[in-house]
Amino acid sequence: MARLTAAGAVPSRRRLPASALRRRQLAVSAWLYLTFLAVATIMAGTFVLAFMASLKVDPLERPFRLYFDQLNPAAWIAAARLGQEGASDALWGGFSPGAKITFSVTYAAPVGTTIVEPKAEIPRRRPGSGIAAALMRDYAADYASIALKSSSSATMQVRDARGVRQPWQTRTFVYEITYRTDRRNGPWIERTPLNLTAPSSQTLIDSPISPSRSERRGRLLSWDNITPGALGLIFNNYRRVINETADLQTGKSLFGSWLVNSLAIAIGRLVLTLVVASLAGYALARLKFRGSRLLFAALLFSMTIPAQVTFVSNYLIFRDLSLLNTPWSVIVVSVASANVLLMKQFFEGFPREIEEAAIVDGANRFQVFWKIVLPNAKPALLVNAILAFQGAWNDFFWPLVLITSPPEALTVQVGLLSLRRSYGGAQGDWGLVLAGAFISIVPVIVLFVLFQRHIVSTQVTKGIT
Amino acid sequence: MLRVSSDERSAWLFVLPFTISMTLFFVYAIIRTAYYSFTEYDLFKAPSFVGLSNYIALVSDELFLIALRNTIGFSLIVTTVQTVLALALAVLVNHAVRARGLIRTVFYLPSIMSSAAMTLIFLWLFQRDGFMTAIVGTVLAYRRHVLLFFIGFAALQGALVLNARRSYEGVSIFDPFFLLAAAVGALALVVACAFSGLLPVFDNDLLISWLNTQRHFLFMPVTLWSVALMNVFTTVPTLMLLFLAGLQSIPSALYDAAEIDGANAFQRFRHITVPALRPVTFAVVTMGVIGTLQMFDQVAILGDAAPLASRVTLAYYVYENAFPAGASSRIGMASAAALVLGILTIAVVYVQKSVGVKERAE
Repeated sequence: MARLTAAGAVPSRRRLPASALRRRQLAVSAWLYLTFLAVATIMAGTFVLAFMASLKVDPLERPFRLYFDQLNPAAWIAAARLGQEGASDALWGGFSPGAKITFSVTYAAPVGTTIVEPKAEIPRRRPGSGIAAALMRDYAADYASIALKSSSSATMQVRDARGVRQPWQTRTFVYEITYRTDRRNGPWIERTPLNLTAPSSQTLIDSPISPSRSERRGRLLSWDNITPGALGLIFNNYRRVINETADLQTGKSLFGSWLVNSLAIAIGRLVLTLVVASLAGYALARLKFRGSRLLFAALLFSMTIPAQVTFVSNYLIFRDLSLLNTPWSVIVVSVASANVLLMKQFFEGFPREIEEAAIVDGANRFQVFWKIVLPNAKPALLVNAILAFQGAWNDFFWPLVLITSPPEALTVQVGLLSLRRSYGGAQGDWGLVLAGAFISIVPVIVLFVLFQRHIVSTQVTKGIT
Repeated sequence: MLRVSSDERSAWLFVLPFTISMTLFFVYAIIRTAYYSFTEYDLFKAPSFVGLSNYIALVSDELFLIALRNTIGFSLIVTTVQTVLALALAVLVNHAVRARGLIRTVFYLPSIMSSAAMTLIFLWLFQRDGFMTAIVGTVLAYRRHVLLFFIGFAALQGALVLNARRSYEGVSIFDPFFLLAAAVGALALVVACAFSGLLPVFDNDLLISWLNTQRHFLFMPVTLWSVALMNVFTTVPTLMLLFLAGLQSIPSALYDAAEIDGANAFQRFRHITVPALRPVTFAVVTMGVIGTLQMFDQVAILGDAAPLASRVTLAYYVYENAFPAGASSRIGMASAAALVLGILTIAVVYVQKSVGVKERAE
């Protein structure tokens, strides 16, 4: 293009000097890296944001703050102290006999107004919206007594809207929350809520951990749990997703059993896939038999046909065998075509000579396969194992169709759907839903971190074939 | 002779497990689906033959037609966008040599996640008062700034290029160095104007329904556009890696030769990269079509968060008819729709393949 325009150009114009060309090359790489940075930010940023939201009390809070108690080391330390005082457990906190918790709050108000003592109470509050509310039997309110221990006043400088410094007065109230002595044999209680009501003329400026929400235009401040412990503060939503999705009869954690089910199914699928795929892959690669072309055609065909085409018949098969709602149905139902194809390709690249030598020595096909081929196929088996595990863990459709009840028989992916239904609806308890989503991806993340190279290179080869 | 037959016997033993599962769960299942599509069946009473009436009912079922349109639209949009984006990203990453390992990891994460977890994260992003709404709100609030940036950017670039062309030959309109300079200049202009109070910030307290809405944009419901965005987000990384592998197998001598012959970057891309990537492109498009035509998980997880007509796809229509909420199963209808879905998939892949193979011969 440049040459074409140059042909008719005025001769006095010069070509770009070398330094300018170099500058242009640098500019090109600057653009490349900027674009890359932008894309990477969008990709990784989405997950970082979602993860941060999964820690928050209210993930839908607007505007979204990037700095909150769960990310604040000072709050972690305070939470650990409160947990220690509440139940001698700095990590997970709680409220148990012998607890004596000091909780100090500081209010501020312009000079001239009097700061009154806030009305403090330990309310009988149910946690969350779901089944946990029905399961909860012990309330901190029944076992705790709260008293004002001391208060002290001070002044501080506050910049007003125009940037002028003004003196404000502050007052710190120190409360002591104790486990009632007449209830010495009381239970351990997970959380200790607190409500503080103060006139709207005074603002809360300091507390060991921030209030969970403020209502009535800031007059009522409420904490869901003032004895969280450090991990209990940070991973509250994660603890809730395990504890609050409980079965009403047995009290067992549903989310926990979903994870176990998924694990069992994924391992089962992995083993079955390895057996089926290595046997069939070897036969298709090496052995001549009538029908092999037909079988291979069916294999390719099955990779294009959606599961929705075959599911009614498969559903009926398991219903007739009474295997519905058992892990076996999901383990068995998938036809491991892609894995067979991968194994076939691996075996085709495997040198024939060694096998032939063994056959001349009198080994039969199975001995050759078991003693010579398989031990050398470890990389391919590993890749297939990873893919099978990942595929089974992430599978949504077959578990949805084949395992519908009871609630504890679901897999974690279908469980996420039920979480979405019971918590992600109108009440919008998204912290819990997101925490569930992040727990559910831990196994594949671990797998990815351990076997990153294998996974990436396989996806590439798998796609090209 | 004896050897051959014993080999054949052991071969059959080797493929026996695979053949059983293939026959039972795939071949038999397709045949049974075809049979059910001509019957009326509710999973309990024995199926009764009704001829073609399921198909006739399908064609007159409005929801089916919506599902068909949604599926085709979704597949078309997502396949196109993800292929183009993946190719562009691959070309980009192929240049950014130093960070390639890191890039792979970052770009790859979305595609190992389950669709259920991804959908939940996106549902959160697309809440009415969620993050996407906030982003759109911010852009709208700063619309003057954005507009000024682009006007300033174009004007500066034009001025710089015209000025350079007076004394030098061969300065492209998209000269990268001037683009960088113009971008910085425009940014400075916007910041200066903003600080001097010349640019108003519009307030808005937007609440956008991304999911729970009946509205359409072009030919597709807004809900499905949101799902399409998510789908592109998760599939682009894998597809990018495929293109990347393809790019790395192109000998660099080809590019050097073309450069000596005076081909510019675009010409090199058009005449070397594109033809060399044809097999990969074929694979990517095929995978894209197969994947998007059977899109189900996202729609199922959306559930009652969006109206049925705004999210229904063929795959979901099949499931919805087989296990309708609060009604008895319509296996006949489900099977007929499933067959339509299967035939559609095969047809698209076949057409793709016959076109793709011809181009491959080049």
